[in-house]
Order: sequence, then C-alpha cells, then structure tokens
Amino acid sequence: MRKFIVILMLYCFNSVVHAEDVRLGNIGVDASLPALERGADLLMNACHNCHSLKYVRYRDLSAFGFDKKKVDGWRGDQPPEAALIGLLADESAVQMFGKVPPDLSLMIKAREGGENYVYSYLIGYYITPEGLLSNHVFPETKMPDVLGVSGVTDPVQRTEIQGKAHDIVSFLAWAADPHQEERHRLGYYVMVYLLVLTALLFAVKNQIWSRLK
Amino acid sequence: MQNKLIKWIDHRFPLTNFVKHELTGYPTPRNLSYWWNFGFLAGFVLVLQVVTGIFLAMHYKPDATLSFDSIQHIMRDVNYGWLLRYMHATGASAFFLVIYIHMARTLYYGSYRAPRELMWWTGQGLLLMLMATAFMGYLLPWGQMSFWGATVITNLFRATPYIGDQVVVWLRGDYTVGDATLTRFFALHYLFPFLIIGGVVVHLVALHTVKSSNPSGIDLAARDNIPFHPYFTSKDFYGLGLFLIVYCSFVFFFPDSMIEPANNIPANPMQTPTHIVPEWYFLPFYAILRSVPNMVGGVAAMGLSVMMFAFMPFLDRSRIPGGASNRPIVRIGFYLFLLNMLVLGYVGATPPTDQIILVGQVATLFYFGSFLLIPFISIAEERWLIKRGLPPEVEALIASEARGKIKLPFRRRSGDIK
Repeated sequence: MRKFIVILMLYCFNSVVHAEDVRLGNIGVDASLPALERGADLLMNACHNCHSLKYVRYRDLSAFGFDKKKVDGWRGDQPPEAALIGLLADESAVQMFGKVPPDLSLMIKAREGGENYVYSYLIGYYITPEGLLSNHVFPETKMPDVLGVSGVTDPVQRTEIQGKAHDIVSFLAWAADPHQEERHRLGYYVMVYLLVLTALLFAVKNQIWSRLK
Repeated sequence: MQNKLIKWIDHRFPLTNFVKHELTGYPTPRNLSYWWNFGFLAGFVLVLQVVTGIFLAMHYKPDATLSFDSIQHIMRDVNYGWLLRYMHATGASAFFLVIYIHMARTLYYGSYRAPRELMWWTGQGLLLMLMATAFMGYLLPWGQMSFWGATVITNLFRATPYIGDQVVVWLRGDYTVGDATLTRFFALHYLFPFLIIGGVVVHLVALHTVKSSNPSGIDLAARDNIPFHPYFTSKDFYGLGLFLIVYCSFVFFFPDSMIEPANNIPANPMQTPTHIVPEWYFLPFYAILRSVPNMVGGVAAMGLSVMMFAFMPFLDRSRIPGGASNRPIVRIGFYLFLLNMLVLGYVGATPPTDQIILVGQVATLFYFGSFLLIPFISIAEERWLIKRGLPPEVEALIASEARGKIKLPFRRRSGDIK
C-alpha cells in the first residue's frame, strides 16, 4: 500500500515535507553484527546526547550478541535494564532546539521510505547560497549536521561519512524491528512446511475425488 | 466403548444425526469451483483473528498513556508477541480480501437470487460488523493514523439529523477521541467478533437450508450432489494450504506493508498528519465519501455504497440461470465494476487534487449507476438471450435437471416470445 500512498509525517508542528521534492537513494541495510555494532557506537556518540531509544534496553543489545564490553561502556553506571534514554533533558532540548528530539526506536518504521529516508536525511545536509545550513530531505529540521557532511567536498571523506550514516541506519533498522532476523529464519521453515503440506493436501484431495466417476 | 459413549450421547443429543446431516451426508453440488472455497476461508480467518486477538489482549493495555508502549512490549518482549501481532494485523487484511472475493463470487454467479436472499442479507450484516470491528481495532495501537482515522470517521456521525453533535460525543465518550474512546473501542472490539460468530451461525443455518449455489446456476438434482465430507473438506483444506502460503509470506516477510508508517508514531492530538488514509479495504468507500462535496451527502453516499449490495436480489430480476457466466452483458458489467472499484481505491489513497476529485466523482457515478442500471440491463439482456437461445450445453443441462427435478420457476413476462 505504501507504494501508492505518499504521506510524510511532520517532525514538528505544521511543517510539511513533500516526498516529491526529494529523491531518496535506495540503500539496503547491513544486518551483520559488526555493522550494527559500528552503528550503535556512532549512535551513542553522535545521536544519544539528544535522542532516546526508549524501547531498546542495554540488555537487549547484549542479548542480541553485541560485544559485552562495548555495551558496558555505553551503559556506564546504569543498570542493564535501563533503556537507551538520551542525555539531554526535555526542558533543555526545548530551550536549545524549540522541541524535544523524537525518539529513534521506531524511526525507520515511522517514515515513508524507511531506511532510505533516514539515510538520505542524514547525508542530506548542505550549505545554502546564503550560507545557512539546510537539508535536502527535510528543510525544516532543527537537528545540527552531526556527521558534518555539509562542509565536506572531498569524495573520499564523503564516502566515509556515507558509510557512517549507513551503519547508523542499519542499527536503527535493527532497533525498530529487533526480531526481523528471527522472523525471516522462522518464515523459511514455515514456507517450506506449508508448501509440503499443501502438496500433500492436494494429493489427498485428488485421491478422494478420484473415487467419483 | 466408543460406540457405547456415542450411543449414550445420541440418546441425549443428536450428535450422530448432526454429523450425518450437516457433514457426511450434507449434499453439495459436485461442480463447485475453487471460488466456493472462500466462505470456509473466511470462517478460518475469523477463528484465527479471535485466537490471536485473545492472546494479544493478555498483553495489551487499553489506556491512552500505555497502549502504544504495550504494543511495543508485545513486539519486543512477549514471547512470539511479534508473531501474534503481525498475524492479527495481517489477518485483518486477509479477512477483507477473502470476504471481498466471497462477495465477488456471489455477484458473478448471481448466488444472491432466490432462494438465497437471506444468505446474502445475513452476509451483508456480517460485512457491516466486520467493518465496525476492523475500524475499532485500528484505534487500539494508538498511533497517529489510529487516532486521526477514528477522529475523522466518528466525526462523520455529525451528519446525523438534529442530534449529530450528541451522537459524536456519545460515540467518543468525550468531546474528542481520547482515553474514553480507546477503552470503549477495546471493549467493543472484543465483543463484536462474538456477535460475528453468532451471525455466522445464522448464515450457515440459512446455507444448510437452501444448500450451496453452483456455477451452473441451476439447482442440481440429487444425482449431481456429493457429500460435503470428505469431498469438500479435502478441497477446502487444500485451498486453506494455498491461502496460508500467501498469508504467511506477508506475516513473515512483508508484515509492515499493511501498517502505515504514521502509525508508528504515538497519537498526538496537536499534530494532524498531512494525509489521513484509511486501510486499503475502506479506500473505495472513502473515495465515495470524498466525492460528494456536501458532508451529509457524502456520508449518505458512503453508507449507501456499502448497503447497495443488499438490493441486488431486487435489482437483478433476470431469469437466466448461472449469473454472469451465461450473461455476456452482465459479465462485462461485472468486470467493469471490479475495475471501477480499483479506480475508487486508487482515488481514496491519493491526496485530493482537482483531477483526482473528478475521477472519483465519475467513478462514484459509475458505482451507483452500475447498480441502478442492472434492472434494465438484465431484462433487456434476458430478452435478447431468450430470443437468441442459450448455449446448447446450458439448455441440455436445464432439460436434464428438469427431468430429475421440478421445473425451473420461469415467471412469464410481457414481451416474452411464445
């Protein structure tokens, strides 16, 4: 359905983003553990100061297989049960940016275009001819250019930043749907089972109906 | 031992008789095609929705401050909670798909005609209850689209004459959609499936009185009927296997394709989504609603568009058996109607521009027009077909069945050729 429907949600009150204005790159997420760990690392450094992932807990990270030491490093003195709550208090966020930064747990699922949207957004920063910071995907954004993509013209450095954005998006995709891998794995067994079962049911049906003249 | 037990039961409850009458001895036309599988599938999906729904209700919290979080709790922490939720969410779409095919089959083969009008009308009642259940269930995740969808739809009841505002407040339990709306929708979303089960029982009692229609459109004599079990149980289970392959490929590999991205953002009464769209199964009716410029008119048109199906037994007075399969003009009309439904669905899903509104209005006119023209088309077509003669195999079937049974109830009509 989402192919037909173009809706983009508002980040903040009454500001509208039209998808027609933007061309989203088509990226696949990298679901491998090293990519997710790199993404989590980048996220804890670049995003976690302001943004929360309130539906993800530190123990979910270690339970999935993230390096224990890294998780302990991110967790600090918080209990493993603690969620990834951002460091910035809501009141200070409103003072600084005029709004509370959105929770990132479901960010990939909450935007039309999913990972492509978030990736294109992260690397969509540029400097306008007037010398102001803007974003191709979401011009009204209040978020600073955390990956520093707007000031970089060197292709090698840009590729490096794109790689970082890709890792962050991969981690966010995992955070939005942590059971995806398990779901796909189970799904293959279910499909094979159903194909065999249906073939058998077809044979049974034919066997029974062959009694009719 | 077993025989003794069954004897003991049969003495007190007509178990053997029931199984014989409704299953092993229940006469079913042997020429039923796979299009006749969808009633059974609808029953299966109903059970699936009730079972997954009950387990979801064990973990869900109907509270405006907790419900969004409790869905995430189900998706992340509850053992196989993601499976339950995706099965239930995909199941809603599967339910409508199956029901729409079931209805399309009835329309194509003219199965709503005498003596099956009550089957058609109980089915219409079931459709309305299904729509209400789906609509109320959609509020429960308390996402943006849940909230705004419920706001838009409950607001439509403002069109009620004289007491519109009171009706809206009564439905919502508050001046806006809020916690009171959520709790009552949850209670009713839990109740309605059981009302639907009751309706299904009535639907089935009617079915077992008039028996299944069949593609020929002619009531077949006893020699062309075969027992439901094992012939149609085996055929239904094979169909179920095919259905499950499609259903499970969505549940396991594309579960989010039926969930609006906006519904992954918690409901926010202060922030309206740019474009509020209902689920796909409501889109054609939503397009009709938007096609009428006046609100009261739009609501009336939308209500009527769902109810139009109930008039079919009155509108289609043709005596040609076999529905669209033997009626070339009605067959073309049927496919155009389906095409028009797709157009309406597209219009319902697209933000309204002048062009889209115009397309929607034309499609709405065609929608109602195709119902209103049926009486004229079917009689003119009938005259033409009788003059031209039905295909020889149909004539032969009618003749052979007439020998084995009563004559077809051909009413005479002025203009018939002698």
